[in-house]
Amino acid sequence: MKEFMLFIRSEESPKANLSPEQLQQHIEKVGSFIKQLSDEGRMKSAQPLEMEGRMLSYKNGKIVDGPYNETKEVISGYYHLLANDLEEAIEITKGDPRFEEGIWRVEIRPIKKVEGIN
Amino acid sequence: MSDSNKKQSRELAEHFFRTEYGKIVSVITRYIGVNNVETAEDIVQEALLKAVDHWQQNGIPENPEAWLYTTAKNITLNILKRKKYLTKYQLEVNRDALKLEQLQFSNEVILDEQLKMMFACCHPSISENSQIALILKLLCGFSIPEIANAFFATNHTINKRLVRGRKQLRENKVSFEIPKKIDAHLAIVLKTIYLLFNEGYSPTQQNELIRIDFCLEAIRLAKLLVDNTSIKEKTDCYALLALMEFNASRFKARMNIDKSIIEMEKQDRSKWNKELINSGTQYLNQAMKGNQISKYLILATISANHCIAKSFDDTNWAAILSLYDTFLELEDSPTIRMNRAVALSKVKGTKKAITELKKIELNSDIGEHPMYHVVLAEFFKEENDLSKTIKHFKKAISLTKNERDLKLLEKKLIAIVPIS
Repeated sequence: MKEFMLFIRSEESPKANLSPEQLQQHIEKVGSFIKQLSDEGRMKSAQPLEMEGRMLSYKNGKIVDGPYNETKEVISGYYHLLANDLEEAIEITKGDPRFEEGIWRVEIRPIKKVEGIN
Repeated sequence: MSDSNKKQSRELAEHFFRTEYGKIVSVITRYIGVNNVETAEDIVQEALLKAVDHWQQNGIPENPEAWLYTTAKNITLNILKRKKYLTKYQLEVNRDALKLEQLQFSNEVILDEQLKMMFACCHPSISENSQIALILKLLCGFSIPEIANAFFATNHTINKRLVRGRKQLRENKVSFEIPKKIDAHLAIVLKTIYLLFNEGYSPTQQNELIRIDFCLEAIRLAKLLVDNTSIKEKTDCYALLALMEFNASRFKARMNIDKSIIEMEKQDRSKWNKELINSGTQYLNQAMKGNQISKYLILATISANHCIAKSFDDTNWAAILSLYDTFLELEDSPTIRMNRAVALSKVKGTKKAITELKKIELNSDIGEHPMYHVVLAEFFKEENDLSKTIKHFKKAISLTKNERDLKLLEKKLIAIVPIS
């Protein structure tokens, strides 16, 4: 099994415009998707991210705030997933019912396993 | 099954979020004032978003209501603590009685505050359009796109109605309480609930799913009135509730697979919802005890007559005809006269009914309504007067704007003139 990091991308506060009914459907559908993968032992971790945070970089000998992306896109959550290969990870991800809401993009990145680092 | 499995297999009741939205907005509004109702809406939305993040990962908690209430209360307290808000809100809050910190979201509190919200939304200073939009948004938890969708309107239009409604609440200093002169206000609340029901029930609108929900919400709101102890004279509440339940009982039977409407005459009566009919009958009996004749009571009784009839022809048309006569004594309306004509045709024959319809046309603008010509066409069909049948079906088609009705009418026309 290989490990994958899935970055759930969206515009800022993606769920803010969903109605109460749609929010409930989100919990029910996405919740059971995550639960099923957790039960199968494929989902090692899945969490949403807070919207506030900082971007730090090194400039002129100092650590500074920014620069920030110009687009409003943010990473609003992540999945840490196990799959045999990238193809299977893609297939699993396609089953995420959140796509029906039309406000999400998911980036799938294999985790490079380098011996001796951890 | 492990603990976490048990936790996650818990399910939310249907429309849980939507219903809770209305409950919590009402309770919070009591504390921050009706002029800040939009803040209450934001608070509840934020509480729901928090719930999504937590429940999606950890499963649904044992008591999801309590979880939401505590979260909403904390968000409200945080907002009130922020200084710039404090001065703004303090004036609105009656400090003696209302201590938000001690707030318990008891059933009783929730019921009372929802009732107050209903009276606030239906304040006489607010237009009917805005009243309905406010009720759907604040009390029923529908979003602007959902309301717009059901009304064939744009988000912009619905938002404008809401903005105007909230502005009226602010500017007229509408109080958040059950009005002292309850009867006059109650009449408006009942009328708005009935309009809401009819928005859902009207066959000329699309989006069936959300429209059934509108009807069920109207019934839920009327039940809040019936269950409340502050209202002493409930005859009209019972009657309206009965009327809506009787009509709603036919909701599923009147829809074809292709989403076209089946007229009552051709409906499969075994598909009528017996639970709603039984419950409606009980409320009708309650309303009858009031010894007070009202329009709702008459319409409910007419609808009940349809519900208990074995078939369209077996309907007690004589009873229905005299009920319509009584209605006209209370209020003269061309639509009611038109419906009465159908009963008249069954009791006294179509010729009499045709004469009656023509009389209505002379005295009102009912001739502009497609339904009028449909009824007339059906009468002429019964009289075997084909040319007049075709004439009025064609007139109805020319007046009809929505596609579903057009399809139904064209089908009828083709049935009479197979080759044309």
